[in-house]
Amino acid sequence: MNKTLRFPPVLSGVLIGLSMVAAFVFAGRGIGASGFLTRLIATAQFELFPGLTEKSAYFARYFETARHPLDSWLTYFAVGLVLGSLVTALISKSWKLEVLRGDRITSSGRLLLALLGGGFIGFAARLARGCTSGQALVGGAELLVGAWAFMVCIFIGGYATAYFVRKQWI
Amino acid sequence: MDLIAPLAKTGLITQAQNLWLAIPTGFLLGVALQLAGFTDGRKIGRAFYFNDTDVPIVMFSAIITGMLGLWGLSLIGFLDISKVYFLPTYLYPVMVGGILFGIGMVIGGYCPGTALASIATGKLDALMFLVGFFIGSLLFGDLYPIWETFYKSDYRGVIRLDHWFDTTIGGAILIMVVISIGVSLLLRLGQHLVWRNLQPTSSLFFKSTQYTLVGLALLTAVVMAFFPNSAFIPSESADDSFYMVPRPIFAEPGSNKHIKAD
Repeated sequence: MNKTLRFPPVLSGVLIGLSMVAAFVFAGRGIGASGFLTRLIATAQFELFPGLTEKSAYFARYFETARHPLDSWLTYFAVGLVLGSLVTALISKSWKLEVLRGDRITSSGRLLLALLGGGFIGFAARLARGCTSGQALVGGAELLVGAWAFMVCIFIGGYATAYFVRKQWI
Repeated sequence: MDLIAPLAKTGLITQAQNLWLAIPTGFLLGVALQLAGFTDGRKIGRAFYFNDTDVPIVMFSAIITGMLGLWGLSLIGFLDISKVYFLPTYLYPVMVGGILFGIGMVIGGYCPGTALASIATGKLDALMFLVGFFIGSLLFGDLYPIWETFYKSDYRGVIRLDHWFDTTIGGAILIMVVISIGVSLLLRLGQHLVWRNLQPTSSLFFKSTQYTLVGLALLTAVVMAFFPNSAFIPSESADDSFYMVPRPIFAEPGSNKHIKAD
């Protein structure tokens, strides 16, 4: 297998930062991923169970205006994100249908933990009003106290839990 | 010079153009996440064992780049920062959210952005993570009344580090740049102590580029902290506290927004 094309951390970080600066300059707003994903699943639930979704005090606001919840800057941004990753993976020949896992865990074990971790993050991203991109990176750049507190807490939560899932990674 | 950015809010581009520009902006992030190796959940998971220090270092570099870009473009009079959206802080909810987020990150190996990027490269564990994310989101939204009170508690408004440290914006930027460099070096040291010869090898070109970038960031922050000397164009709606250098206050009666309440 080819060695995947990699940038060293500072250089990759600067690229991510430039994407943020572009969003500030063009749109006057921050980047974000979880907002789009929440709108996506809220829309899916609305299509299936419109009554339930309209009753939800949290999701209802997406459907109150004439504008479709996915007709949003975040949706276009997410499309670009997926395309950028896809194109880079194809060029560096690292596109592959697979389950990435450590040496000491089975594929199904890894998938189960991915599902569980995703559940935590789906909930936490709503409670914190953003995820790594929208809350931590953008807020961090904007010098917001909340964003830096969020990041410190991410690493507290992560380091505190790391021991219990160590077989998954190392 | 007029403040020309944010382009969508100064009317230089239409809303439709603004949406289309979001695609290349996202594209750049997708490329960067793939080049950083963040489309591999193992890399993110291992960050929590000091086994891989790239995750915090990439995050620091991204934040510092965004920070210097945002405030620097404002300082030179290019970007009207009072037109940029700042998320208000609800401190307890964001902290509890952060702890749950960290737990989810070490269990799941992704965050929403990296999961999306990883799915685009065919990784099935990222797809499962996304399914979990959807379930968690629905749980929050559909059972919202249970946590609504907490979600809205401890509101602090837009509170920034320069208020917190009681310093200037430039001073806060310099402090954060120094902390970022310091913590990055400490993490590298920790990695070396725990895992021995795990130091990643990169080419001389990459190494020198990285050190140059870090040096430039430090230099820029020093200039912002000690020598900010640019005048800003006054604007009616702008909030002075967002500017590194206070804009000139005009003496005509009625135009002084400092007197105007709210």
